[in-house]
Amino acid sequence: MKTRRFIEDGWFHDFGHGLALTGGRCPACGRIYFPTKQVCPACFATDQEKIPLSHKGILHTFACSHMGPSGLPTPYPIGFIELPEGIKLFSLLTRCDPWDRVLKVGMEMEMVIETIRTDEDGNEIVGYKFRPSGEIPS
Amino acid sequence: MRAVAIAGIGGIRFGKYGDRSLRVLGEEACIKAIRDAGMKPRDIQAAYVGNLAQWEWGQGLLIGHSVLREIGITKIPITRVENGCATGSNAFHEAWYRVATGACDIALAFGVEQMTVASSEKILNVFTGRQHAERDGDMGNSAPGLFALMARRHMEEFGTTRNQMAMVAVKNRKYGARNPEAQLTRSVTVEEVLKDRMICDPLTLPQCCPRGDGAAAAVLVAAKIARKYSSVPISVAASVQVSGTYPDDRSYTCFDTDVRAAEAAYKMAGLGPGDIDLAEVHDCFSVAEIVHYEDLGFCRKGDGGRFVEEGHSGIGGKIPVNTSGGLLSKGHVIGATGISQIIELVRQLRGQAGGRQVEGARVALQHNGGGFIHTDTASCFIHILRK
Ligand SMILES: [Zn+2]
Repeated sequence: MKTRRFIEDGWFHDFGHGLALTGGRCPACGRIYFPTKQVCPACFATDQEKIPLSHKGILHTFACSHMGPSGLPTPYPIGFIELPEGIKLFSLLTRCDPWDRVLKVGMEMEMVIETIRTDEDGNEIVGYKFRPSGEIPS
Repeated sequence: MRAVAIAGIGGIRFGKYGDRSLRVLGEEACIKAIRDAGMKPRDIQAAYVGNLAQWEWGQGLLIGHSVLREIGITKIPITRVENGCATGSNAFHEAWYRVATGACDIALAFGVEQMTVASSEKILNVFTGRQHAERDGDMGNSAPGLFALMARRHMEEFGTTRNQMAMVAVKNRKYGARNPEAQLTRSVTVEEVLKDRMICDPLTLPQCCPRGDGAAAAVLVAAKIARKYSSVPISVAASVQVSGTYPDDRSYTCFDTDVRAAEAAYKMAGLGPGDIDLAEVHDCFSVAEIVHYEDLGFCRKGDGGRFVEEGHSGIGGKIPVNTSGGLLSKGHVIGATGISQIIELVRQLRGQAGGRQVEGARVALQHNGGGFIHTDTASCFIHILRK
């Protein structure tokens, strides 16, 4: 039987408003990281506080890949998303057809949780993607 | 640190050598370099070998020892190093360091790799898995992806064009056609480059370096004994290694590692970008070369596209870049790439570069970036060589 699983346990958590990406805030210096870290690379403090990261961010740049790892059909658009927390995320981009007309550097994007690709046994790996903000999700 | 010079070089043409062993490729390059230095194998006092992914695509362990025992180099310290795409440069840097510190007088550096024995899928899958925290490889990023993303942001911020990026491939393939050791020997036009198969938009196939098999070697000696082995010893004026900082808050149009490594290398050599007569830089993708012009100080930030378009990086221009044909013509033979760049510069400084000779070249810069983690290159090496 085929299964669905998150790409990483611990990346997604419901803080009370549905699933959000989980960041880690350093209790000593306040820096925020994704994913959470065992210690703060800036000050070496432990015990990061788990916080929800913003669902919305800005498209820093994008491209469209015609090659990729197994279990991910090509071509597919990709980008870097800047979150207000100061984090840059690599992300697959979705619901932006045709990508070369829709996508613009600097536009607002919104996170969705979806299947990213399948593993070698056909199981679905679920993670985050970003789509242009403001549309009605289909 | 004391002065170090290059007394011998030896490489084999990059290509497809799936029918030969990794060991034999390594032997051939080392024999050439030791002969070029007029030495005997027993003169070598330490050796460093660059080889990236020996277990990933089925190459053996202890590759340095396997190669060197066949040519009569035993007993001495032999060490394998790995540093992503800069693996070969790391081997050279370690050999330099060993001689510069006075630990020995003569050291051998070589790099060897067989990239064509692995499938593209297997190589891509090396970038997946849980090693890097953000799992970008699992979510579909790749080397072409990283550079296509950089290209798009560079186009957006500085007005760099697809044509300008294609011109990097055109220039490098033109010089590759003049280099008997290049893998791709046919020159191409801007139109051909842009019409070719899309790899990761905006980068087409000729803007992405091919893979290859091969090896490259160099013999480093203390400068005080260099004349004994070479009539034209080439000084290593700077040898610098830095690692990434992985910033999330910087525009994705800059190799911060380049900037820091270049600053340190220019300081070490007592030179500036204006003193560089030619350079070999890490053109794994066309856009990378444009960004390297800027971050190595060959032109101002944002002017890289115009730098190639106006011919400043061609032979006869301000700083000829990648006269060997670069990775875009030679192919990327990870463990051997960095030392292969050094071989080209030594040939140029010796005046042995034939139809691609930069006349009167006295100072040359080698640049090799090593791998990517999330938003930054993991390592960067710069060597400045002087006649
Ligand atoms: Zn901290």
